[in-house]
Amino acid sequence: MMHISSILLFIMYFAALVAVSWCFTDMETGPGAALFSPPNGGDRFKIEGRAIVPGLKTQDWVSSARVLVEGEEYVGFLRTDGSFTVNDVPSGSYVVEIVSPTFRFEPVRVDITSKGKMRARLVNYIKTSEVIRQPYPLQIRASGPHSYFMKRETWGWTDFLMNPMVMMMVLPLLIIVLLPKVVNTNDPEMRKEMEQSMNMLSPNPELPDVSELMTKLFSGSKGSSKTSSSSSSSKGPRPAVKRR
Amino acid sequence: MAKLIFLWLKCLVSCCIVEAVFEDQVGKFDWRQQYVGKIRFSHFDSHVQSSKKVLMATEKNVFAALNTRTGELFWRHVDKTGPEGNIDAFLLHGQDALLVVGNGRLLRSWDISVGGLNWEVVLDSGSFQSACLIGQQDTVKHVAVLKKTVISVHYLSNGHQKWIENLPESENIDYQALYSGGNGEVYVLGIVPHSHIAIVVYSMEDGEIIKQTSVEAPWLSNIQTSCAVVGQGMITCVDSLTMSLYTLDMHTQSKMTQIPLQSLGLEVTPHFHPVLVSHQPNAAHQPLSEFLLQLGPEHHLLLQLNSGQMVVLRDFKPVRHMTPVLTSCVFVSESEHNLQIDILLKGLLHLSLFNAETGRRLLDTTQFLSIDPNVGKPESIYVQAFLKKDDSVSYRVLVQTEDHTLTFIHLPGRVMWTREEALSEVVTMEMVELPLTGTQAELEGEFGKKADGLLSMVLKRLSSQLILLQAWVSHLWKLFYDARKPRSQVKNEISIENLSRDEFNLQKMMVMVTASGKLFGIDSKTGSILWKQYLNNVPSNAAFKLMVQRTTAHFPHPPQCTLLIKDKDTGLATLHVFNPIFGKKSHITPPALTQPILQSLMLPLMDQDYAKVLLLIDDQYKVTAFPSSKNVLQQLQETDLTTTQIWEVIIPTEIQKVVTVKGKRSNEHVHSQGRVMGDRSVLYKYLNPNLLAVVTESTDVHQERSFIGILLIDGVTGRIIHEAVQRKAKGPVHVVHSENWVVYEYWSTKSRRNEFSVIELYEGMELYNSTVFSSLDRPHAPHVLQQSYIFPSAISAMEATLTEKGITSRHLLIGLPSGGILSLPKMFLDPRRPEIVSEQSREENLIPYAPELLIRTEWFINYNQSVSRVRGIHTAPSGLESTCLVVAYGLDIYQTRVYPSKQFDVLKDDYDYMLISSVLFALFFATMISKRLAEVKLLNRAWR
Repeated sequence: MMHISSILLFIMYFAALVAVSWCFTDMETGPGAALFSPPNGGDRFKIEGRAIVPGLKTQDWVSSARVLVEGEEYVGFLRTDGSFTVNDVPSGSYVVEIVSPTFRFEPVRVDITSKGKMRARLVNYIKTSEVIRQPYPLQIRASGPHSYFMKRETWGWTDFLMNPMVMMMVLPLLIIVLLPKVVNTNDPEMRKEMEQSMNMLSPNPELPDVSELMTKLFSGSKGSSKTSSSSSSSKGPRPAVKRR
Repeated sequence: MAKLIFLWLKCLVSCCIVEAVFEDQVGKFDWRQQYVGKIRFSHFDSHVQSSKKVLMATEKNVFAALNTRTGELFWRHVDKTGPEGNIDAFLLHGQDALLVVGNGRLLRSWDISVGGLNWEVVLDSGSFQSACLIGQQDTVKHVAVLKKTVISVHYLSNGHQKWIENLPESENIDYQALYSGGNGEVYVLGIVPHSHIAIVVYSMEDGEIIKQTSVEAPWLSNIQTSCAVVGQGMITCVDSLTMSLYTLDMHTQSKMTQIPLQSLGLEVTPHFHPVLVSHQPNAAHQPLSEFLLQLGPEHHLLLQLNSGQMVVLRDFKPVRHMTPVLTSCVFVSESEHNLQIDILLKGLLHLSLFNAETGRRLLDTTQFLSIDPNVGKPESIYVQAFLKKDDSVSYRVLVQTEDHTLTFIHLPGRVMWTREEALSEVVTMEMVELPLTGTQAELEGEFGKKADGLLSMVLKRLSSQLILLQAWVSHLWKLFYDARKPRSQVKNEISIENLSRDEFNLQKMMVMVTASGKLFGIDSKTGSILWKQYLNNVPSNAAFKLMVQRTTAHFPHPPQCTLLIKDKDTGLATLHVFNPIFGKKSHITPPALTQPILQSLMLPLMDQDYAKVLLLIDDQYKVTAFPSSKNVLQQLQETDLTTTQIWEVIIPTEIQKVVTVKGKRSNEHVHSQGRVMGDRSVLYKYLNPNLLAVVTESTDVHQERSFIGILLIDGVTGRIIHEAVQRKAKGPVHVVHSENWVVYEYWSTKSRRNEFSVIELYEGMELYNSTVFSSLDRPHAPHVLQQSYIFPSAISAMEATLTEKGITSRHLLIGLPSGGILSLPKMFLDPRRPEIVSEQSREENLIPYAPELLIRTEWFINYNQSVSRVRGIHTAPSGLESTCLVVAYGLDIYQTRVYPSKQFDVLKDDYDYMLISSVLFALFFATMISKRLAEVKLLNRAWR
């Protein structure tokens, strides 16, 4: 869960970074603010659309939802069939969003020319002049319920066992306990081989005791322990094969 | 490299993500209260017999349905603030509620059962006059709206316009009223003041004018206040000058008939404008022939007009000498022709039903109800009458009093619920610590006193431990005792008597000041109102400032709060001194303030009773100190307090105006002097306690030329530390000023988006004088860093978290118009966020710069508990360093706790006691067993 969200966030960061570079390259052209006249006492228009929550009756959610245009500058309400109209909006460019405490709706930017021509596009705060068309009259579909809560960290055996610290503790333990049993130390051939490998591992030939070697390995540096574990694991199956 | 960044981002995210609320924490330490405001129009839902709804349109532009059993909201629709969302009229027909909104701009129809909109239509411009339902042949299918110059009729089913007509001679005639008697005709009544009444009759079918008459009425100036339509289309008017009633049959007559009040044996109270009230129970039928006439503030009459004959049915005159005061009379019920009277009798509400046709009082309908004399007079009453199973009449009453309290009363004088609608308009608030209990105080006292010998200290220690043990045992006993009782009976009733500070000082008293002049003391843990105080001499346009002069820490002196109430027009102010725990007015007499007050400030100085000194500067620049004992004057080293100008910074008013001046909060502590950089050097913060942030807005509002400016001024020397100007930007600006940073938010007109900007001040790598800060001795100007970000939403309020010692990292709490309260970590607003990630910035845990700040719903501290129209957010430290108490107020009130750096000083509430104890036991047994095994092995080896 945490990983997914972090990946998502990373993607968003990346997108933002990319976008910022776009923004800087885009600077010369400038955003299209001059396209729309400031709100004046002129004509008033209406923004129309419909909000859809898939798989839910409209009665269940419309009474708690509102349509906000540019913050709370213009307010609209949802009809019992999910459609809405925000009346009395002068020409300009507005971000229209449907706010509901339970469902998430993506905001849409609506541009109204001074003649009343409408167009809807995706909201992009960084590249404000970018136009990715959206249907008008607006069709806003809920993208699921809001996630307000975090999951509690529950404790389970698998989590415990998969913990890297535990793995690091358990694996050597297994090696210590199981290795002497798997390897038949009474077999003279085997013993010979082992001694050989030991000698290969450590240039000092005056260390024939297995247990002493092990303690040395585990108290020693990490790198040497790694090699020992790899060597022992590679060694492990071979005698088993031989025994068969 | 990319992998490294990714890893590091991951760990960063994982440390940021913890701000969210866990699902099982819902309602554990947070609560929300929803309000609607003062009622303007209200109707009971009589569509269904068993309906529990009461609908109300309020002065806060809210339309809501309340449950009459509990007083809770079914649904609520919050419109725009200001005149554009103003509700002008509210008509209820069956399941449809019709609202005229924004001075007749919009006509809306709501479905009251689900709370959804049926339709909304835009009406023609022109100021709204009146609206009424039009019936025809026992059905109501249309609604008519009268404007200054036009009348329009709409279908109830879909809002489509049936017809619209211009009113004749609308430039001379002031059309004011609408009437429809249910016969397919619409009457429009207009007036030329002191000349004549104009009556225009329209046909409902096509809007054709059927008849147009004008009637002489030289005494009349306003139809709405002095006329009413009674019975079969009889206009009845009352005039106080000629002391007469006038009647006119709209169908036949063309001249008004005068009936002198004296002929009925009546008299108007001098200087009182008489009021007529008629009642039309159903738009498809004619109004009743009975009507109410109010001749004096306490004198109401029930009259009947029958074929030109005026009959007094009942005179509701104060009978017993002067004691009962009749405050209001209303018509209720459609079928029973009843009438409701309420009489205020020295704090006792007296209600009864009368039959309108006979004027007789109905049996068993009188109720007495004692109301708090503190709440003011009843302002309006709304009655729901109904027939009981045995056909007797019963009723419920909704009473709104002057202090905006709603009380719902059931017949035998039983209060079903009350709502404190004054809390919909909280102006300012403070959080005051609760006092210690006797035992707690004794325990605390042990540490405060000087040591007087080893033995006595030991004895004291023992005795206090004994007290603790005793308290614990009694607590256990109470738990045991409560456990035996059924769950429903166990109520942890919190009253003023058993209020005491809890272990971590998480429970506090919220002192709230509302615009109506009512003060509240609310328990922060549960949200229950512990005390309320209505100040009835507060002017309507008052500005309030609440100050805590003495906290609860100075036992036996009681805590003390002072409320400065200032009339915005005259500038005259009064002080209300009270105890914040009990709400009682203090016996200390505040100084009388005869001059308009310009400014007030609290000094950190205390008098001998540990009350902080409040200074008030009047328009003569004279200073009044409160308390002004000798001790205080001595400390101030002056006997005659005056002011002298030390510095001035001129901000040209023709270009820009000062919007906000923000200092730092006086109870703020900063315990980190600097920031450790990546190379292990320290960047010291510029922590000037006298720094003021001054925000200006340009007077030119053109989007190309408007700008906002921010000045950082040292309050002692007047030195401008920093100045920043944001071009092509406009307000409203929200500012937070704390520690060494200022965060402000504005609207960028160029890119049409909200932007955040952060300014941080640093002294540099060396601290000039680390022991004490003096504004007069700082030769080096601080380094200023600034960065801006895009914020994808508008903002209604902003505040920073505050903790006891200032160690915990800071968050910004942002109230959004959508109703969420976002807790944004300050580390996202850090001007040192690098554009290119380097080894050092990674070491410092800086997030790489991204232009857009994200709004994540996990960061909403109020999850789905939306708070409407947040006006302010109040933060207060608790006894735990990790915890900050937050109250957001606006139309609603929401209280919660936030943990900006997680709960590092207490065990988390999901702490797994089972796991830790089972691990401990397992380890214990494992050692036991292995010990045994080792013994056996040793023994075996010994034998070998």
